Amino acid sequence: MKKNIFYLIGIILLMVSCYPDDTMYYEDTDLVYTNYTETFDFAGKGTYAMPDKIVKVTGELAEGQTPEYVQEPYNTQILDKIESNMTALGWTKVNDAEAADLALMPAVWTNTTVVYWYDYWCWYDYYYCGWGYYYPYYTSYTTGTMVMFLVASGDEYIEPFNVWSAAINGLLSGSYDLTRVTQAIDQAFKQSPYLDTK
Amino acid sequence: MKKIIALLIFCSFMSMTSVFSQAENHISIQYDMSFGTGDLGDYISAGSFRGASVQYRNAVTDNVLVGIDAAWNVFYEKRDYDSYTYGTMTLSGVQYRYQNQVPLLVAADYMFRSDKDFKPYIGLGIGTMYSERNTQMGIWYVEENPWQFAMKPEVGFLYNFSFGSALKLGIKYYTGFGGDLGTQGYFTISTGFAFGF
Repeated sequence: MKKNIFYLIGIILLMVSCYPDDTMYYEDTDLVYTNYTETFDFAGKGTYAMPDKIVKVTGELAEGQTPEYVQEPYNTQILDKIESNMTALGWTKVNDAEAADLALMPAVWTNTTVVYWYDYWCWYDYYYCGWGYYYPYYTSYTTGTMVMFLVASGDEYIEPFNVWSAAINGLLSGSYDLTRVTQAIDQAFKQSPYLDTK
Repeated sequence: MKKIIALLIFCSFMSMTSVFSQAENHISIQYDMSFGTGDLGDYISAGSFRGASVQYRNAVTDNVLVGIDAAWNVFYEKRDYDSYTYGTMTLSGVQYRYQNQVPLLVAADYMFRSDKDFKPYIGLGIGTMYSERNTQMGIWYVEENPWQFAMKPEVGFLYNFSFGSALKLGIKYYTGFGGDLGTQGYFTISTGFAFGF
């Protein structure tokens, strides 16, 4: 009977160790989201304006304070990638935002999440430290997000109106991985065939 | 005192040796391989090789056993980078799909040739099934986890190979009804050991 109990324990341990978990790479976390206003006539438009700097959203901006921007050369490389995609879809970039049919507004931000495991109470007082665990175990991860909005404005709109949005999101590896960003930009336009004006 | 202990050991031994000489009370632990059908098969086409089930059976006659079943089957599939469109919204990314099935059933088996070493049986289970479907894309996920009404027909056999132990092999079909997830069905091949008491 004792042998039987060992069999049972062995089978249960085997089960517990079997939960699936593939190896995941940073690029496996890349997500591209797009959405659009179905009633908007993209084919009837053809020009757009775009800033020459990509703003970094870092929190609330006080009056008179200048925002942070994506550093060079990444800023130009990302804007060039957006422009080449828009050109391929038949759009013409113009410098005068008021004369353009739409404005393309890119922005980026990062978000760091810290995950505590346990034993953080040890930080309050050494008295609370357990047997051998003097420091809390924790991990953190940072995600990066880039958004692009196509905004319509003018006399026909009460206020600027978002007609296309794209969001690119993924875990950051610690270094600027431009290939992941440019591939995601290509994907955002690829999955938005309704933007084609040709 | 020694006589009492010896008597207890003798009685225990006798109760073990009598196990499976006919349909007797037993508990079985089995390793499960499962294959989704219908909606579950469409969601995860890969077979599941991560699962186990436990069955307890109480013999009410020489051929009829009643008891309870519990199982845990984990379905998993990594989908390559692809695009998914819902209305005007499109999402692209690598998708990780998980589905856990935990059926908890009351069951009855009819055992043929219950006085032989090789005992085929048929059975039916009715109860509930917890389904947990988790779809991950990037760092985001969507989870649905309904409890469903469940049924499970089963065929299999017990093969008595030593005192108090038997090999058990069964083929089951679990179906869960109701809830937002819709009908969830899967075949399971279970193999393991039954221990009598």
